[in-house]
Amino acid sequence: MKRGLIVDDAAVMRMRLRDILSSRYMIVSEAENGRQAIERYRQYKPDFVTMDISMAEMNGMEALKGLLAEFPDAKIVMVSAVGQKAQVFEALSCGAKDFIIKPFEVERVLIAIDRLFG
Amino acid sequence: MKAQYANPFITAAVKTFKQELGVDLARNSMNVKSSPVPSKALSIIIGVTGLVKGQVVYSMDENVALSVAKAMLPDRLPVELKKHTNSAVSELANIITGQASIILAGETERIDITPPAVFSGGSSFIDFLTIQTICLSFLSEIGSFEINIALTEETL
Repeated sequence: MKRGLIVDDAAVMRMRLRDILSSRYMIVSEAENGRQAIERYRQYKPDFVTMDISMAEMNGMEALKGLLAEFPDAKIVMVSAVGQKAQVFEALSCGAKDFIIKPFEVERVLIAIDRLFG
Repeated sequence: MKAQYANPFITAAVKTFKQELGVDLARNSMNVKSSPVPSKALSIIIGVTGLVKGQVVYSMDENVALSVAKAMLPDRLPVELKKHTNSAVSELANIITGQASIILAGETERIDITPPAVFSGGSSFIDFLTIQTICLSFLSEIGSFEINIALTEETL
């Protein structure tokens, strides 16, 4: 079973994503900011990451760049309310595999993660 | 303060309440005031920078906040819902602001938003901007809800 890391500053969103993804994937850890995300990635080496953008300490764009600099094969899907065209373009250009805009449908999340391993 | 800032927030709030909570939101009133000081017990403040700058302050009563948590986290125990109420209303405000900023930014511009900050009780210790604010109020089956939009294209 593929292993995932959920990164979001809102506990309620981490719980929802865990509920959605747990049917198909093992969620090995959660992080509430970009700095924690990098630490947890180093610790658990997950197969995929869901990454929020607007977070204190280190935001999701900085964490995306930091993770891909250290782990170029990291599979990162952005899941954010901040989904303006410029931000989506920047994230995908930096190497994010997909960009899910909140509010999202459950199926949209599952399809995005399934596609990483299809 | 441009009146057209209101429409993206109305669209975003109605869509987010329906999709995240399964609740229909109806417009109640809109008025203009001199700062985004909220009128209800629990509030969420989000800072905005970029094409437009300022603050957006969401406000609701505690029972409405608990209903938001209940809708976002179905099948959870009451004690768990209470623990995550602030997180639920923060995320709701974050999503509405994010959706409105997508509309406001259009094809090429950029708007950044800060992580939400929640506060309850008196708001006299909060440093609100003193700029013209549009106050939108809404009604729903879970109670009333208010959005104070204090945005400008000018340098603050």
